[in-house]
Amino acid sequence: MTYKDFLKRIGVLLLFAFIGTSTVSAQTIRGTVEDTNGEALPGVNVSVKGTTIGTTTDVDGGYTIELPGGERILVFSFVGFRTLEATVPDGQTRFDVQLEEDVLGLDEVVVTGLATSVKRTNLANAVGTISSKDLVPAPAQTLERALSGKIAGLTVSQNTGAPGGGINVNLRGTSTITGSTQPLYVIDGVIVDNTAIQSGLDLITAATGAGSSTPQGQPTNRIADINPNDIESVEVLKGASAAAIYGSKASNGVVIITTKRGAPGHTAINVTQQVGFTHILHKIGTRKFTPQTAEALTTGGADLLARNGQLDYEDLLYGETGLLNETTASVSGGDNDTRYFISALAQSEDGIVENTGYDKYSGRFNLEQRFGDRLRINVQTQMVRSESDRSITGNENQGSTTLGFAYAFTPPFVDLRPDANGNYPAGPAGSNPLHTIQLLKNNEKVNRGIASGRLSYNLFRTQNQNLDVIVQGGGDFYSAEHKVVSPPELQFEQAKDLPGVSINGETTSLNTNLNLNLVHFYATPSNVTFNTTAGYQYESRDWNNVLVQAQGLVVTQENIDQASALNGFQTRLIQRERGVFFQEEVNIQEKFFLTGGFRADASSRIGDTDKFFFYPKASASIRLSSFDFWTSDFFKELKLRAAFGRTGNLPLARAKFTSLQAENISGLGGVLVPTLRGNADIDPEITQEFEFGVDATFWQDRATLELTYYTQDISDLILQNNLPPSSGFANQFINAGDMTTQGVEAGLGITPVRTRDFSWTSRINFFKSWSEITSLDVDPFEIGGFALSLGQFQIQEGESPTTIVGLDEAGNKTQFGDESPDFQVGFGSDISYKNFSLSFLWDWKQGGDVINLGRFLTDLGGVSPDLDTKAGQDRAAGVGGTGRYVEDGTYLKLREASLVYNVGRSKIQQWFGNRVQSLSFGVTGRNLIMITDYSGYDPEVSQFGNLAIGRSVDVIPFPSARFVYFKVSVGF
Amino acid sequence: MTMYIRTFLNRSGGRRFLPVLLMIGTVLGWAGCDTLEVEDPNAPSPDAVSIQSLVSGVEGAMRADMNVYLQVTGIFGRELYYFEPADPRYTGELYLGPLDPGGFLLTRPWGSRYRTIRNAVILIERAPEVGGAGQKGIEGFAKAIIGYQLLLNLNYLDENGIKIEFSEDITVPFVGKAQAYAEIERYLSEAVSDLNGAGATFPFKLSSGFAGFDTPATFAQFVRGLQARTFLYQGKWSDALTALQGSFVNPNGSMKAGVYHSYSTGSGDRLNPIFEVPTAPSVKLRAHPDIKANAEPGDLRYADRVLDRTGDPGFDPSPPAANKLSSPLVITLSKSSTDPFPILRNEELLLIRAEANFRMGSLSAAEADVNAVRAAAGLGPVTLTSGNALDQILHERMYSLLAEGHRWIDMRRTGRLGQLPKDAVGEPLQPGIVFDKWPRPINEVPEGG
Repeated sequence: MTYKDFLKRIGVLLLFAFIGTSTVSAQTIRGTVEDTNGEALPGVNVSVKGTTIGTTTDVDGGYTIELPGGERILVFSFVGFRTLEATVPDGQTRFDVQLEEDVLGLDEVVVTGLATSVKRTNLANAVGTISSKDLVPAPAQTLERALSGKIAGLTVSQNTGAPGGGINVNLRGTSTITGSTQPLYVIDGVIVDNTAIQSGLDLITAATGAGSSTPQGQPTNRIADINPNDIESVEVLKGASAAAIYGSKASNGVVIITTKRGAPGHTAINVTQQVGFTHILHKIGTRKFTPQTAEALTTGGADLLARNGQLDYEDLLYGETGLLNETTASVSGGDNDTRYFISALAQSEDGIVENTGYDKYSGRFNLEQRFGDRLRINVQTQMVRSESDRSITGNENQGSTTLGFAYAFTPPFVDLRPDANGNYPAGPAGSNPLHTIQLLKNNEKVNRGIASGRLSYNLFRTQNQNLDVIVQGGGDFYSAEHKVVSPPELQFEQAKDLPGVSINGETTSLNTNLNLNLVHFYATPSNVTFNTTAGYQYESRDWNNVLVQAQGLVVTQENIDQASALNGFQTRLIQRERGVFFQEEVNIQEKFFLTGGFRADASSRIGDTDKFFFYPKASASIRLSSFDFWTSDFFKELKLRAAFGRTGNLPLARAKFTSLQAENISGLGGVLVPTLRGNADIDPEITQEFEFGVDATFWQDRATLELTYYTQDISDLILQNNLPPSSGFANQFINAGDMTTQGVEAGLGITPVRTRDFSWTSRINFFKSWSEITSLDVDPFEIGGFALSLGQFQIQEGESPTTIVGLDEAGNKTQFGDESPDFQVGFGSDISYKNFSLSFLWDWKQGGDVINLGRFLTDLGGVSPDLDTKAGQDRAAGVGGTGRYVEDGTYLKLREASLVYNVGRSKIQQWFGNRVQSLSFGVTGRNLIMITDYSGYDPEVSQFGNLAIGRSVDVIPFPSARFVYFKVSVGF
Repeated sequence: MTMYIRTFLNRSGGRRFLPVLLMIGTVLGWAGCDTLEVEDPNAPSPDAVSIQSLVSGVEGAMRADMNVYLQVTGIFGRELYYFEPADPRYTGELYLGPLDPGGFLLTRPWGSRYRTIRNAVILIERAPEVGGAGQKGIEGFAKAIIGYQLLLNLNYLDENGIKIEFSEDITVPFVGKAQAYAEIERYLSEAVSDLNGAGATFPFKLSSGFAGFDTPATFAQFVRGLQARTFLYQGKWSDALTALQGSFVNPNGSMKAGVYHSYSTGSGDRLNPIFEVPTAPSVKLRAHPDIKANAEPGDLRYADRVLDRTGDPGFDPSPPAANKLSSPLVITLSKSSTDPFPILRNEELLLIRAEANFRMGSLSAAEADVNAVRAAAGLGPVTLTSGNALDQILHERMYSLLAEGHRWIDMRRTGRLGQLPKDAVGEPLQPGIVFDKWPRPINEVPEGG
């Protein structure tokens, strides 16, 4: 599609807007809107059904609206409340209503396009939503942790337990093999950066290089910088059929985040203080030594055991009780023209390892200003500073630099604690981890600002038509500073030629986007509405990472100029994208809801940057319950839905380039052809999805059920193809395979009890997905892991891409399981009795295998707890081949729980008069219970970070922690 | 388009929409029509970089994976052991087979040589930009390096041949040993004639490893030396002698004179990969016990290149990685991590000349060169006879070129691989195999072919 074509379309759309206008004599209706407790509700939308006429209630819940002749039905809608449709009796001019709370989200409005939204009851896709109330019942260090278990089809899994994040978010199973795996995050219309930046820790652990070329610095990913407390709602577009309007970046789904914006009326000030503690969730345990087994492990071990006894190294390394502190404050309010929301967050959390922790300081200012009834401007800004100290854990190849390796290879009867003079003895594994904890620094500091603006202007409005132009833009800038210092005093540094390493990383990132939308609404007299959107979007990304490694540090110095050798590394990413989109939504008398549209995208990351890729979508839903024949009182709502859509996943930025490598020979700089040959014809991976479902509301609106089946065909999979080395190259990215992923999702929400004093709401979701490689144009290959004998993943036609393979005892290649879970279930409940409210969320993953190389290491080191049993001895002797380290990763976790006491109105009045509006106390917790047979720290693990294939490889990571908080919240 | 807008403005009363149209125009103007094409932000394109960068890239890349080449040829020629705890193949596969056509011991050196060649090919493609004598200099340099890199790969695969077309098409066939040598000879002789027309200086600088060989005339001496080596391998004795006449062979000069790979601690530079602290508790690269057994007392070459740690209590001659092999002899050829590593030295040229002269019947000329080498090693002269000359020359080559990657090739070309010790490895001990060549790499051969 050319630029001219696009402009023509806009013209047509504008012309279309002029068909039919009329004016009728009107009647003025006034009234107030309140909740069931009699509290006025400001900001409620009041509209005349089937028209574009609408207003919102003022500070006191009052409204005034013109009813055109012949129209008598008013619609009252407000976030968190049931929508009410009511007929104003003839001749009446005063009309007061009460709205009921919508605990099951029956009348939720869901964003379906880049500028439009639709009622959930009409929606043809399974879109997951989480409201602010359900998002963070207990503090979460990072946003993704707060999503766990809340949406069917959404899997959140941490890579390690280290403070500050590093979390994988997967929607609807596997959709790529080499491509990016994380969903697109859109905050108030701005696509935000979620890069995982390598700190350079690899240069100390040397984890990368031997066996695997995948970076293993266990980085955090940058969505961690968002303050979850600022969020009004999270919407998750899970598959291609819902996300097609985001085109070439949406194959992993889209997470749309809307921040809070205040409501007209009383200026609400809320302050919440939470303090708490954290400690290790689960220890793997250490073998109990006898003089015989100690002597067998180490010559002289019996003497050492007699002298030192057995130390608990897990406790010495991971036994800290970390203090947690989170303070949040917000001010919000406004009037009919102005709304604002201001918030601040100060969070400071210590880790379970000494000298680790996570701090975050964030401020937000959101403003909405209306100028008359045509122009509305929204501005959102966030500034955040986050800092994490993550110590050194996981894989390594240097000499037990990491805590996990040192734990595995230090017999527990060796005492590594410092002597009276503070001198740390040398450890038998090549390091003294207690010394490492004291001196090694692995610090990340991020300063970030995200700002967005939205200008919405009503071009014209008649009784049945409306045309808005919406311009939206924003930017996301951060600078991240990584500092990894391994001082020369450390034992493993002293073994080097140039002891002491200081690594300084500086990353700057700027994302901007700008989009222009025209939104036209048209209602026919027969109650058919058309919602047309056309738009244009431009995005840019500039990312620059500079890493300097200094070796041979002068003692006590960290600066890179206080060293004897320097190495520099730099990586930049420049990305430009352009897209046009069009969408038509037709609502036929609330019975049928049809959507059709497309997005066309061009990107600098694709081989041909002038080529537009089309991402169409179409969907239909039928609300059987809206037809006259529907008489069931039990099923209030029943809807059948079907949707289709296509999305893309861009190739890696380097795939199209033959990037000459730098060489240097005695001071003469050179360039050398790379082993990776660029592919100037590389195309995006394309996901095409069909989704079918049934939604029902039954039991007098006390229960909802949502069932979905989807099937995705992923074509043009991007894989690495081997080239004959005599060409001078080794490989190339090509589009060379197809895969299907299918799944089912079910969600049930019920309110078994709802009385004035006691209410109980439960939500349960179930999901399962399975994938298969359907064609492969390259030879079958292994990916991920370290070596076949240590477990890898097999990519082969007809098999699941997460199939784990290894060697049996005879050395033959064998399948040993599948990393994908059998199914997952989330179960949450909110119970309130009088002033107490209790909520909890359980997260259950059934199946999904983990390659536990942590156990392999503790077996090698002779410290696994079961080595004195037959099972342990067989395993250490190699019985079962690779399969002996492939374990079932089933778990059941209590993700969140909170018990809060809300002080009654009368008490507050009695204690504070009118100065205080609300007061509550409580206890909250996160990751409180984990039930699993897995023998490592946590079956949620990934040595290699966020990737599609190759997760669930455990190399003794930072252990997971339990978090408990005490909470006081005051509203003024 | 304008028609739409005009109609639109007329019908709507216009003014309200003007600012909106301006807004749309602004957005499209800002973000609209410029190209999305982005240059690679991290690396230059081959047609934009300087000739100097390509030359230094070639020179730098010649060093890649030469350590693997040296370890493997040293093990096959039974002059070295390599006890690498992280990789059992050095004391397993290389003794017992089967040799893995996909393993890194083969594919890494093989691929790195062709990668160097690819860079040199780009250099030849770019040379016409310079024109004249400068162009000849660039082409001469590039062709010489291509010839040398092909020779190293042919040394590895021998009868299995090499590929002489540098193509991404996997069906391009291998050529046999004779054709491969012919191609190497062609590159080297074209290099010599290009260098002859290349004027007094190169239009680029070479590293310190080429000190004394960094003008077209002196670089040609190096190429003539490479030609001599190539002819020697093929038994073309008189061609070897002719080539040597144009080389830097000099019985009175330093044995170490010649061309080297250089190393430094500079950012992005490489370190000498075979250097290890010789007195460290574990040293991977060791000399075969036969090297000690056959050494003449007082041989400075042996003393220079081998540290005997027999009786050192802090040193295990047979660590677990040795797979039952054993040697207390540490290789000390490279003295530091920035010590240069030889490509072609005067000492080798003298021994090539001695061997060629002996084969051509000039025993006295051969004896003079052999004794020049021996004198430099602190050893007394020998008398060559037609009976002992080849043994003596191979003995001198063994010590003069110890750990430089020659022994295996010398024993193979003289049909003496059968004389090498088999060595036994493993539990239970199994006698080793002395391999004569690598198979063709798996990624060079179409599936099923």
